[in-house]
Amino acid sequence: MLVVLISAVGTLIFRQHPRARTALTVAGAVGYAGSVAALSWTVVLAPDAPGIATYQVGGHQAPYGITLVADGLSAFMLATVAAVALASAVFSVGYVSNIDYDRRTFYNPLFHFLLLGVTGAFLTGDLFNLFVWFEVMLMASYVFVAYYGGPQHTRAAFWYVALNLVASAVFLLAVGGIYATTGTLNMADLAERLADPDAYGIDAGPVVGLFALLLSVFALKAGLVPFQFWIPTAYRAAPPPITAILAGATKKVGIYAIVRLSFTVFAGAQIGVSLEIPGTGIGIAGDTPLAFVGPVLFAMGALSIVVGGLGAIDRDTLEGVLAYSSIGQMGFIAVPVALAATAASDELRRLAILAALVYALNHALAKGLLFLAAGAVRTATGTIRFDELGGLAGRAPALSSAFFVGSLALIGIPPLSGFFGKFLVFDTAVQANAAGTVALLLAGSLLTIAYMTRAWNRSFWGARTSAVAEGAADPLQVAVLVALAATVLAVGVGFDPVYEFAEAAAEAALDRDGYVDAVDPENGGENP
Amino acid sequence: MAAFVLALVVGALFALGTFLLLRRDLIRVVWGLAIISQAANVYLLTAGGIVRGTFESVPVLAGHGEGAPETADPLVQALVLTAIVIGFGMTAFALVLSYRVYEEHGTLDVSELGRGRDRGDRE
Repeated sequence: MLVVLISAVGTLIFRQHPRARTALTVAGAVGYAGSVAALSWTVVLAPDAPGIATYQVGGHQAPYGITLVADGLSAFMLATVAAVALASAVFSVGYVSNIDYDRRTFYNPLFHFLLLGVTGAFLTGDLFNLFVWFEVMLMASYVFVAYYGGPQHTRAAFWYVALNLVASAVFLLAVGGIYATTGTLNMADLAERLADPDAYGIDAGPVVGLFALLLSVFALKAGLVPFQFWIPTAYRAAPPPITAILAGATKKVGIYAIVRLSFTVFAGAQIGVSLEIPGTGIGIAGDTPLAFVGPVLFAMGALSIVVGGLGAIDRDTLEGVLAYSSIGQMGFIAVPVALAATAASDELRRLAILAALVYALNHALAKGLLFLAAGAVRTATGTIRFDELGGLAGRAPALSSAFFVGSLALIGIPPLSGFFGKFLVFDTAVQANAAGTVALLLAGSLLTIAYMTRAWNRSFWGARTSAVAEGAADPLQVAVLVALAATVLAVGVGFDPVYEFAEAAAEAALDRDGYVDAVDPENGGENP
Repeated sequence: MAAFVLALVVGALFALGTFLLLRRDLIRVVWGLAIISQAANVYLLTAGGIVRGTFESVPVLAGHGEGAPETADPLVQALVLTAIVIGFGMTAFALVLSYRVYEEHGTLDVSELGRGRDRGDRE
């Protein structure tokens, strides 16, 4: 698993040589994808796979040193990111050459820093280290949002930076509080101590509130309502290949952190939770922090679906629709996670996490594809406004069909990857006997159909406008899109291995004892 | 006593930071961000416990080759160092970015920037 980091860091070193830059970026991305595949295979998929691998940085043992952990969940998320990153890196080759020299120089190193931050966040087993990786990732993404340096880009970047700096301070506060309360920041050690607070002489009560702080930080990264407002401006400002990464990978870090902390770390905590709005009798009560995470996350997810869907319907640019749509789609991922938190049985919980992961994979692929397609449209025609687009289907059939496949995957049409994601999410809701949830999901899906149909009609059908008639699609970009569309199709058709991988990931997310044992064998396994 | 003073300081820093964050001037917003992250740092430091410094608590002075004496928790101090470095970089970036915003927009007033957004969306 070190290979992942080495390939990310190693390629960085050569970034400054202008000539070799482009080739190295692609090679770096290929190497990244390759090492992620190798990691996934050895750790999770191979017949004799251990299911989890750890690396103690600097040789310091677990509760003291920083641990890197790769289990099914991390590997699954990394694989998702690698697929998007590879496509985006190749896509960038053509895209970056249109930008002036100064900016081009820094594009590739930043691209890899972004990737490095995401990778680190997925692999780390330490809460403070997670904070550091978040900052690495954010620093790169700040620059990308401000990349073009125009009026709306600097403004979007400033908002993005201000929001995330506040979030970082809150994150730091929560980390400090957790350390003061429990005396540890190692996730495995933390899980251990919270499961049996008396044995360690700690009062775990405050952790619930601190966890709520963390949840708000992660929700901001994931862009769930009510923290969604930075997304449309930031996504419009960033270069399209980066937007694909932001939507496909960076957001998933937020979701990953929620899943990891909720189910691996805090699920075992025996803390009475009882919140009540005074005078109403409406409240939340339970004996783990999950009882609190569930309803809150559910409300966030539900609102995201509605706000994202309604927002996407009347945007007047292609990227605007996609940005709002990704708020809505994050809701589709958050709702099953919330259902998992409140699930009555382990089986349902596993199914719910599985659904969220498969949906996350689908969203990363499909939304990555769509954002890249929007970038290709911009390169070809110089605009992404619906007013100036029309008739692209006849002008650029390959590009259009890739976009079409992406839309269908987002909507959830059977042979594509989206179908299984949506199917599993609905299945979870049905099994949880949540009729209201099913109705909500149905409404969200209908909104998805509505806005994607509108985007398709406005830009790809209809009379050919002058911008479309004069423009020509870049063949390399189209090739990437077609390859990504083929991946979406392949994931849908050959869903079985993906399902097994996701199942292993969901298993890993819930297997608290396994996680603790692997990270900290001396301490682990004492507590059931 | 020291803990009490520090608690007051953390509270005051957070209040000041929040106040500055909500100002219309972009530079004040950056100041607010810097102060809030410093407040978080001070808070982290207090989490490590505060020990009055005496010469017995300095390892070299307290003895030779024996176990180190009990002092404040060094881990949080390491964390704060990291956080300070990150915060420094972020503040520098935010300042440069606000200069760029000024160059592009000719104003640092948040509400005027907000009006510009409506035009930007049409663009």
